[in-house]
Amino acid sequence: MLLECMMNGHAILYTGVTVAFWTTILIVGTCYTIFDLGFRFDVAWFLTETSPFMWANLGIGLAISLSVVGAAWGIYITGSSIIGGGVKAPRIKTKNLVSIIFCEAVAIYGIIMAIVISNMAESFSGTTPETIGARNYQAGYSMFGAGLTVGFSNLFCGICVGIVGSGAALADAQNGNLFVKILIVEIFGSAIGLFGVIVAILQTSKVKMGD
Amino acid sequence: MSVSGSSSKVRLMAMFVLLFALFSSQSSAAQVPLLMWSSEGLPPLASPAAGHITSNDQLTAYLTSAFGSGPNTVLLFLQDKLSKEDFTLFGGVFGNKQDSAFQNLEAALQASPSSVSLPALEWSDSSVMLALLQEKLDVSPVLVDADTLSHLSINTSASNLLLINLPYCTGLEKSCKEVLHENDGIIGEVLSIMKDKGVRFTAMYTGLQPSRVIPERSMSQQAVGRSLLQAVGPTVKEPIMFNETGNPCIMLWAHSLNISLTGEWIDLATQTPSLDGSICNGSNSLLVLTYASGYILRFAMSQRLYKVSARNWFTLDSVQLQLKNLTASYIGRRNIYAPAEYSFHCQSVTSFRDTLLVPSSNNNKNTTQWKLNFFDFQIQGFGLANGTNFSYASDCAGFFTAGIWMGLITSLLMLWIFVYGMHMIMQLNTMDRFDDPKGPSISVPQTE
Repeated sequence: MLLECMMNGHAILYTGVTVAFWTTILIVGTCYTIFDLGFRFDVAWFLTETSPFMWANLGIGLAISLSVVGAAWGIYITGSSIIGGGVKAPRIKTKNLVSIIFCEAVAIYGIIMAIVISNMAESFSGTTPETIGARNYQAGYSMFGAGLTVGFSNLFCGICVGIVGSGAALADAQNGNLFVKILIVEIFGSAIGLFGVIVAILQTSKVKMGD
Repeated sequence: MSVSGSSSKVRLMAMFVLLFALFSSQSSAAQVPLLMWSSEGLPPLASPAAGHITSNDQLTAYLTSAFGSGPNTVLLFLQDKLSKEDFTLFGGVFGNKQDSAFQNLEAALQASPSSVSLPALEWSDSSVMLALLQEKLDVSPVLVDADTLSHLSINTSASNLLLINLPYCTGLEKSCKEVLHENDGIIGEVLSIMKDKGVRFTAMYTGLQPSRVIPERSMSQQAVGRSLLQAVGPTVKEPIMFNETGNPCIMLWAHSLNISLTGEWIDLATQTPSLDGSICNGSNSLLVLTYASGYILRFAMSQRLYKVSARNWFTLDSVQLQLKNLTASYIGRRNIYAPAEYSFHCQSVTSFRDTLLVPSSNNNKNTTQWKLNFFDFQIQGFGLANGTNFSYASDCAGFFTAGIWMGLITSLLMLWIFVYGMHMIMQLNTMDRFDDPKGPSISVPQTE
């Protein structure tokens, strides 16, 4: 039975890496605890010493990339169904492009937010936590958070719209009356991407980076 | 003119002496091989280890045992020059036995019931072997060759020493191989004559001098032994200790305490300070170093309980430098801290580069040029039980720097994304649900 479980080479690799990672963490943590070096684990030091620029740019990068992943995934799912269904029922081709457009919108949200957030990044001249100042830290963290927000929202929105659109295409191929009803489901699905954008805008509204 | 001439002569002499000394210090391991076989038995001799040079004493002892009893007839084949390299070069030792120049010799060695071969016999003088045999056999050698031997009658009741001289190649007319081959022929002839005569004999084949001498370069005359690579370093200076009730209460050690007022650096660690004015109680410590040159350094530390981490931490609140009536204060509270029971160590504590000691904003304007630069700095103000050692040193440098953390986060994140994507791509498969191997294959019509 063990052989059947571990047949997949990917599974072995992933389990191996995960086990190695967590073992390292466990052993390092145990050693630090035993030798009374727990005071070295300083989250505040980490948050103040790492540059706000890193956080800001991670946010920008994740905003666009996660949105694009969502859009791509959705289009891949819907597109395959439209093409497959279109072989036997060519009339579905034009109408179902609407699903593709809904998926694409998610990517557009992502790039707009990425541009908006990147415009907020300014240079500052401080090097120590005192001279950098609280406002710059807040800016860095806000931009990171906004990027995460819009990225993940768009990721799941894109997947959702994609799967619904795929179902819509196949249903349409069977019976042309079904398409309009299913479109409503898709509209609800794409609204959640918009929520992410709104929240991200709110997060970065107070951002003021610079000296 | 004559003075310079004589001085150059002296220099030449000195060079000769040096070269002579150099060459004489090189021991040349001159050695000749010796092959010995007998028509009856020889006493056994343990074959020497490879590279071992048999000494004359060992040979003398062996010959005593070999020729001890009764009269012996010894045939000495004395080649002008012989070395074991000759056997290697011309002996057909590389699988080409048919090219060997010592075929009779080898046959004789194999045919005799016992034989002794010494590949390296210590050689110092060409007459040693002959003299030795003369002494052992107590008879003078008779020079023979193949012709005279056949006509010679050998008296077996007395010892006989028959000497056959063999030439060595001079490289002029014949090649070395031919010469040795001829020698081998002579040996074969002589041996067959002896066999025809029916005389019991012992034969020895050796060289008058070695044909090749490889000078050994002796290693340096020092004893070759292991020695510690790290010499004992200079003694480390003691830390500055402020004692309270007999035991150290504050300890400070630094490789150098450099201060600069106008641009040139002064190392206060080379001067001896007085510790008057230092205070040490449970929650505050003040170390005052008063130097004879007029400088005063004050280190003010405090410790208390911090609730969030639930432990006591001490901080070096400020370092003050005073000269006459000018005082500059440097805040170390923010950066120099450690748990109260440990000491603080940092390789570089400065007030101007990677600042751990921040100049206070209240400083006198005249003191803005002042700088502090402490190397290899270690301080402890609390928690010294009763020893004179520092407690565990909490270092200012952690395992990972901030830069390493930032790099790790971004690169691991990207690596994770990549692995995720790779996993997704690698599990894409072509659909095979409707494959029907027995059905008709797909046909794509050429016309619309």
